[in-house]
Amino acid sequence: MGIPPEREDVKQQVLYLSQITMKSHLLESPISKCPLYLACHHLKTERIQRDWERQGDAGSEGQKLTVCPIINGEDHLRLLNFQHNFITRIQNISNLQKLISLDLYDNQIEEISGLSTLRCLRVLLLGKNRIKKISNLENLKSLDVLDLHGNQITKIENINHLCELRVLNLARNFLSHVDNLNGLDSLTELNLRHNQITFVRDVDNLPCLQHLFLSFNNISSFDSVSCLADSSSLSDITFDGNPIAQESWYKHTVLQNMMQLRQLDMKRITEEERRMASVLAKKEEEKKRESHKQSLLKEKKRLTINNVARQWDLQQQRVANIATNEDRKDSDSAQDPCQIDGSTLSAFPEETGPLDSGLNNALQGLSVIDTYLVEVDGDTLSLYGSGALESLDRNWSVQTAGMITTVSFTFIEFDEIVHVLPKLKIKFPNSLHLKFKETNLVMLQQFNALAQLRRVDQLTIDPQGNPVVNFTLWKYYVLFRLSHFSMQKINGTEVTQNDMIMAERLFGILAHVASSELPQYRLISILGDARKKQFRYLLESKGKKPGIINEENNDSKRLVGENTNRATLNYTTRDFYNEKLEEIKEKKKFCKTYIEDLVKEATEINMKNEALQKLWPQMFIELVRDAVIEIRNKNSYMKLCLQQITDQK
Amino acid sequence: MLSPERLALPDYEYLAQRHVLTYMEDAVCQLLENREDISQYGIARFFTEYFNSVCQGTHILFREFSFVQATPHNRVSFLRAFWRCFRTVGKNGDLLTMKEYHCLLQLLCPDFPLELTQKAARIVLMDDAMDCLMSFSDFLFAFQIQFYYSEFLDSVAAIYEDLLSGKNPNTVIVPTSSSGQHRQRPALGEAGMLEGVEASLFYQCLENLCDRHKYSCPPPALVKEALSNVQRLTFYGFLMALSKHHGINQALGALPDKGDLMHDPAMDEELERLLAQVPGLVNSITASPEASCLPSRTPPRVGSPWRPLHHSRKVDGESDGSTEETDESET
Repeated sequence: MGIPPEREDVKQQVLYLSQITMKSHLLESPISKCPLYLACHHLKTERIQRDWERQGDAGSEGQKLTVCPIINGEDHLRLLNFQHNFITRIQNISNLQKLISLDLYDNQIEEISGLSTLRCLRVLLLGKNRIKKISNLENLKSLDVLDLHGNQITKIENINHLCELRVLNLARNFLSHVDNLNGLDSLTELNLRHNQITFVRDVDNLPCLQHLFLSFNNISSFDSVSCLADSSSLSDITFDGNPIAQESWYKHTVLQNMMQLRQLDMKRITEEERRMASVLAKKEEEKKRESHKQSLLKEKKRLTINNVARQWDLQQQRVANIATNEDRKDSDSAQDPCQIDGSTLSAFPEETGPLDSGLNNALQGLSVIDTYLVEVDGDTLSLYGSGALESLDRNWSVQTAGMITTVSFTFIEFDEIVHVLPKLKIKFPNSLHLKFKETNLVMLQQFNALAQLRRVDQLTIDPQGNPVVNFTLWKYYVLFRLSHFSMQKINGTEVTQNDMIMAERLFGILAHVASSELPQYRLISILGDARKKQFRYLLESKGKKPGIINEENNDSKRLVGENTNRATLNYTTRDFYNEKLEEIKEKKKFCKTYIEDLVKEATEINMKNEALQKLWPQMFIELVRDAVIEIRNKNSYMKLCLQQITDQK
Repeated sequence: MLSPERLALPDYEYLAQRHVLTYMEDAVCQLLENREDISQYGIARFFTEYFNSVCQGTHILFREFSFVQATPHNRVSFLRAFWRCFRTVGKNGDLLTMKEYHCLLQLLCPDFPLELTQKAARIVLMDDAMDCLMSFSDFLFAFQIQFYYSEFLDSVAAIYEDLLSGKNPNTVIVPTSSSGQHRQRPALGEAGMLEGVEASLFYQCLENLCDRHKYSCPPPALVKEALSNVQRLTFYGFLMALSKHHGINQALGALPDKGDLMHDPAMDEELERLLAQVPGLVNSITASPEASCLPSRTPPRVGSPWRPLHHSRKVDGESDGSTEETDESET
């Protein structure tokens, strides 16, 4: 299809003409019998204004024309052929007012002009010239075929009045985009091959367009040719040679968007292909939606984590500025007035029901930022911000909870984590790897708190926000205190036998002292304390079931099963410790007064004793003296005694 | 019993001076706190154990700081406990920061204040960069001086400041020195920039202090000995001298001499016994040659990384982890 450039053969020319001008009424008789037609063909005369009647053999070449010759007396001429000449200007043909076809293929014409009288012109072939601009076609309202291929045209213009135009060939030009096509109501074929087109517009304004050739242009996305989807008449299109044709989604995107197509890149479209295309397109759509959702979620997560981090920094600064711990409690809730509800953003693929709607709410309320974040990602549970600790109370499905092997804490005070460790033990029995980042681990003692867990395989303490990592001995202390866990990795490095030995060597005596040298009552009281504390935490938790209490009792018995010689090394959070000291104050006061009373009593007695000691010799002497004086006179003494006895009766 | 000083004091004050009351109060307080546990136990037995532990020096373990510093005996016991527990750290040769030593202190006494540790560190580091690493023995001896004589040292600091600024009423000639320079230099002469204070003058003030002080001071004779070979000294120089003085250390009686600091055969034996119970330990990995024959465990693994123990993961667990260790039943 399209206009073949080389037409030496007259027969071909005839065929061609009969193809394009279906309406034979334009010519008085069938073309082959047209005397006028036979009268003019290749007008290649040696000289201008020479006798131009056919001289014997039609093939005498002679010199090529450089100007259009003046043709007199041929006013009924219908077809004029000036192919393969050096003509630079269209001129001297204004008298040929019955001209139907003008062929100026392969010349050197730089400007379309001189056609204003050719009102009957139906075929204008100006291919392979040097035309820079489409112009001066105003009067050619009957134009049926316009061939401007192989020129230097940069813009489609001045053709909007050609409402009978059926074929437009603008191949091999310098077009960078396609628009301004309105008005071409009869256009069925548009050839734009070999240009530099990046986008196409207005094609949906062409009601009859069936064939559109866009091969070898610069189209890279379907959006740039999106108007094609709206063109219901289009049935044949080519995109080969464009960047878009290299894309993996090319075929099915085109097919999906242009259901009306019958042929793509010169190949028929089968039903199978169409079906595949729709399936693939649906998948793409879903993928896009999914990734959009994912990116929304990620963004929200990132914002939340940033917010939590900011809160944490403020907290830390405040604690540094003010020495007391009072502020820590009221800092996080006071900071965030825009917390919607207590519930958080979380991604739970397994959980259904209320949490899904929570997710939707979260997506809608993207501008609202939470102060904490709970995230489940396969086998990892991540908690950001102290508010996240409450999420451990939730009803976790056994399946989800069972899959969790790693629990990660970030931006939460370790002392607060200590309180929820019993809950962690129960709700996530398979959590074997604990990670701490920005949790204010400052003392070796704090690791004692981890001993109450069931089992820890791996421990990761991120140096960021955990000053304890700067200590030389921290790893050994962990291995020592948590030796009953037989930990395998600390901060990613495997625990070797030598590490265990070193840990024992460094701190073994501490354990020995802590167990064997403590008086029995202290042992009992310390261990009893720990048990009581755990029990208390559990009672305070929400959603406790009776079954848990029994398990706790078993656990506490098991606590003794742990290496007893270090079981006394416990960690009490600062708040609890101070609380305890406060409680003791009363008792201490009482004891003080009690002892004081005792001492007073004792000193009084002692004083009395001492006084007695001092006086006793004197008293004794007096006693003896009195007695001796009494007995001096035996007789009178005897009488006195008898007298006393009778008096008594 | 019938010493004249005893009769000179009224009874209550006598008891207080000997800190009998402190221990009595504490004993009764402990009794109250742990009523339920002790009642099964017997009160008489409790008191026996309590005072036994006071004698042995184990009563201060894991107690609050206010109790630990209450009496000189408590302080001595604490120092001794610290030495015994963490001697191994020193033996290992690790140099630790002040913060880490403080951590170790907190393992034994949870609310031990940071200022004391800082002051002790300042003695070792001569008030220089506080992040420097210190050896165990240096820190321990400095800490001993700081902790045991803390009130005394506060007064000494005040006196030193007075002497520096020339406010001492006792003397006429007081050399002035620019503050902030704490390097010891031999005395150059009368005029010009002089560091610290004059030793003999300083000692006189100390002597006065010791006389009128209620709480414990180092024996004046020994202090004089410490000051004998210097003309002038700075505050931290003085403290350093105290901490390094063997006589004072012996007078305190808490710690062994510096040479014997790493030496504690009884504990070492205990340690070997503990090490033998680390799972999978091989005969060859023992430090001391006199250790008793260790039971060998199969299979021997020399120097290989820790082999993961086969603990199957169960959802509702039974107890894991306690099966590998044998209990140290010491009681």
